[in-house]
Amino acid sequence: MLGAQPAPSVSESDYLADVPIVLSVSRLPQRLDETPGAMTLIDREFIRQSGARDVVDVLRLVPGFQTSSAFEADAPQANYHGSFSVYSARIQVLIDGRSVYSNYLFGSVAPGLMSVALDDIERIEVFRGSNSATYGARAMLGVVNIVTRSAAESPGLRASVRSGENGIQDTQLSLGWQALGSAMHLSVDQRGDDGLTGSNGHNRVQRANFNAELPVAPDAQLELHTGWMQIDAGRGFASNLNAPLRETGYNSAFLQLDWKKAVDSQQDMAFDFVHMQESFVDVSSFALPAPFFSVDLDYSGVASNDSLKFEAMRRLSSDVRYVWGTELRRESVTSRPIYNTDNAIVTNFTRLFSNVEWRATPQLLINAGGMAEHNSLSGASFSPRLMLNWTAAPGHTWRVGVARAFRPPSVFEKQGNIRYVAKGTLLQITTLARGQVQPESVLTRELGYLAELDWLRSQLDVRVYNDAVHGFIQSVPYALPTAGSLLASNPRDYFNGENFSIRGVEAQWQAHPWAGARIGMNFERSQMVRDEAQIIDPDLEASVPRSAYTVSLMQQLPGGWQLAVNQRYLDTVTLPSTSNYRGSISRTDLSLSKSLHWGSYRGDIALIVQNAGGNVLDYGKAFAFPQRAFVTLRVQD
Amino acid sequence: MLRWLRHLCTGCCLGLALAVVAQPMPTQVVIVSSEASASYTQVNTALIDALARAGVPKTVIVLLSPSELAQRAKEGRLGLTRIFVAVGARATQALLAIDPSAPVLSTLIPRQSFAQLLQSSGRKTSARLSVLYLDQPLRRQISLIQLALPQARKVGILLGPNSVGKLPELIALAQDRGMTLRQTQVTGEQPLFEALRVALDGSDVLLALADPTVFNSTSIQNILLSSFRLRVPMVAFSPAYTRAGAVLSLYSSPEQMGVQTAHLVLAAWRSGSLPELPVEPDDFLVDVNTNVARALGLALDGAALRLALRRQEYRP
Repeated sequence: MLGAQPAPSVSESDYLADVPIVLSVSRLPQRLDETPGAMTLIDREFIRQSGARDVVDVLRLVPGFQTSSAFEADAPQANYHGSFSVYSARIQVLIDGRSVYSNYLFGSVAPGLMSVALDDIERIEVFRGSNSATYGARAMLGVVNIVTRSAAESPGLRASVRSGENGIQDTQLSLGWQALGSAMHLSVDQRGDDGLTGSNGHNRVQRANFNAELPVAPDAQLELHTGWMQIDAGRGFASNLNAPLRETGYNSAFLQLDWKKAVDSQQDMAFDFVHMQESFVDVSSFALPAPFFSVDLDYSGVASNDSLKFEAMRRLSSDVRYVWGTELRRESVTSRPIYNTDNAIVTNFTRLFSNVEWRATPQLLINAGGMAEHNSLSGASFSPRLMLNWTAAPGHTWRVGVARAFRPPSVFEKQGNIRYVAKGTLLQITTLARGQVQPESVLTRELGYLAELDWLRSQLDVRVYNDAVHGFIQSVPYALPTAGSLLASNPRDYFNGENFSIRGVEAQWQAHPWAGARIGMNFERSQMVRDEAQIIDPDLEASVPRSAYTVSLMQQLPGGWQLAVNQRYLDTVTLPSTSNYRGSISRTDLSLSKSLHWGSYRGDIALIVQNAGGNVLDYGKAFAFPQRAFVTLRVQD
Repeated sequence: MLRWLRHLCTGCCLGLALAVVAQPMPTQVVIVSSEASASYTQVNTALIDALARAGVPKTVIVLLSPSELAQRAKEGRLGLTRIFVAVGARATQALLAIDPSAPVLSTLIPRQSFAQLLQSSGRKTSARLSVLYLDQPLRRQISLIQLALPQARKVGILLGPNSVGKLPELIALAQDRGMTLRQTQVTGEQPLFEALRVALDGSDVLLALADPTVFNSTSIQNILLSSFRLRVPMVAFSPAYTRAGAVLSLYSSPEQMGVQTAHLVLAAWRSGSLPELPVEPDDFLVDVNTNVARALGLALDGAALRLALRRQEYRP
């Protein structure tokens, strides 16, 4: 080829020269038997075979989780160890290390769970248990860590289309390429459906996500992630002043930069910067009977957060490894309708964390760590964690540990100030937080057992736990002298109410018995234990399901066919928006898919039936998750 | 008068003896070292020490750089040399250029590199020109894979212009041992990650063969990260790669190369000629990156693997 450089020839320097460290300490993930807690790993294959459309659909199958597909609280929600309100605020959700917790109202992980397309996910790591020591406050009961596919590993074009009952219309297009010596990936998608039957919840989510991995130096890498999401959904109930029928919009955008450097083969460090912003549009009016005019309702506002983090990991010897880091975080919320001020309410966080992993004896691994956090709204807290992993015999590990975690009150619980106004006249104040509420805390004690079994090539994980919650944040109305409002106001205030314990057992068994087969079974039992004399909310107990089980079967068949079934059953649950319902939920999903080839293109087509058993109540007594069938077609080159 | 004559004779004899003794010994071994850096110095020192242990005094050995060699050749001071040792490609090239009358043993040089030098100088290996390769014999690399990863059946290989010549022998070896190869060629024009994806797809191990088009300080990040993500262990050709993240490396240290070179020199003196065929490295080391190995669920012991390989080759 004219002008082409001759290939460099090999010489002894290729054998003798030094090479930069790549697989440094922090790039090596912990083995499951060394994790300081129970981990459920969900890989891409499982996600694909489950027939799920959203991350929440997949989390449904993790022990201890309860989910809702309603868009009433911004987006579908996932809760661990109890769904205490319509918002899920007691787990932390991270995408590529970035917290996607939205602190706009009560705090919620729902929009964050919706911000990444399922097809772009490499794996989901669910840490079942408190982990504030590593992930900060808000990792109160559990952590969901979503890892997206690396740009370098998804080259070329991918497209998928999904269509079916319940108005399901999803399309996704993604492209991976190399430029400037770096791998880049762009994914654009849209997903929508008519929502739960009986609801106003028709919805459409649009997303765009871009990732780039730039090798800035032989021993350092810069990762760039940026994305955008728009959720348009209907909400509300007929004749309900607090939540009338209306259309709402949510928008978020973020920029994340991670700089990772391998100092040498035993230590490395990383700097991370994240900027995220959100905006909520929720305006409606509710007509009151004459002589009243209609009430203007508005829950709109904007929020943003900025975070700068440094983390260093070092292996001191073959027995000791430690990580330490610090983070500065600034959160800002602005909403006149919710806080009765045009000023931004800013909360500053400073965090310092460290964890030491020490193999004291060949059988005993000790993880000791903690996070010290100061937050300008709630003061200082310290979340320690101690976990012992004892390998009784090869493939059999016992875990015992204790951890303390906190959930600081959200800005709304400290300073919420909601007023109903009609034609400029103040009708009523429905929320006026007095700002006395303190962080709620949990002391989690657990005993776990992890076994690698030869029988059917399976793995068993059993976790027995006791989450002792202290100062649970609850709301109670209090009398406010009329003072300018037309109707008597009994606004809600947030305070530290009950103490209770959630205790139970979770067992997860996963097998790969023969080629092309996967079997999974989960079993859970839990209950809330509290002091009869202290009860403020008698319905709180129902937030924790009494028992649950999941069965999932996946089998590859000849000719590129694949069949998958998963069934989840929860007993004695309540619904997020109603307190006087007790029932059970059973949902079975079926998926039949076939892999396809045309020349250099490959793909698959799948027929999925969600909720084959018929209507399942979700969110409220009037809403139900329908039985719906749809077809997904995926193509890539 | 007779007494005076006797004194004169004794004096002359003594003087002659002294003169003979004081005369510098003719240089018999000329070592030309491509560079003066650490690895080359280790080879040279090991070579010289091994020769000394066999009775070859250090005074008959001289160490030159390629430019010093060219200078001495011009000055015609190399006439008494019994053997030339070229350490590295540059030294070999310099020696081939002066075309000496004494035998030349090239060492610390990869197979492909030596082949290119032969081609450009129109020479062939013979009793007067021989080589000790730096590359490990392919059968030893496959044996290491079988010992360390007994379940491995598919071996992924990335080939470049400098390593593609090894493919036929690899295919034969793999077939022999019941393994299959998954090879892709990297030309440097199309992106590496595509070739990498094909080589890693379904492979149980990635065997690295030295070629700067494929393995260099820029590409190694991509290769190690991708192979690790797919849980494919990498077997490499130098300890630097193990430190970087390859699970295993099989290589001969500079000291081992120096010692084997000395043995070849001594054998050549005894027999009168160098081995006619190229020689492969005899002794070797196996390095393990224990952290990466554990992360991949492998428990490997470098010393034990080396011993097992040595036994397979009927060596202590």
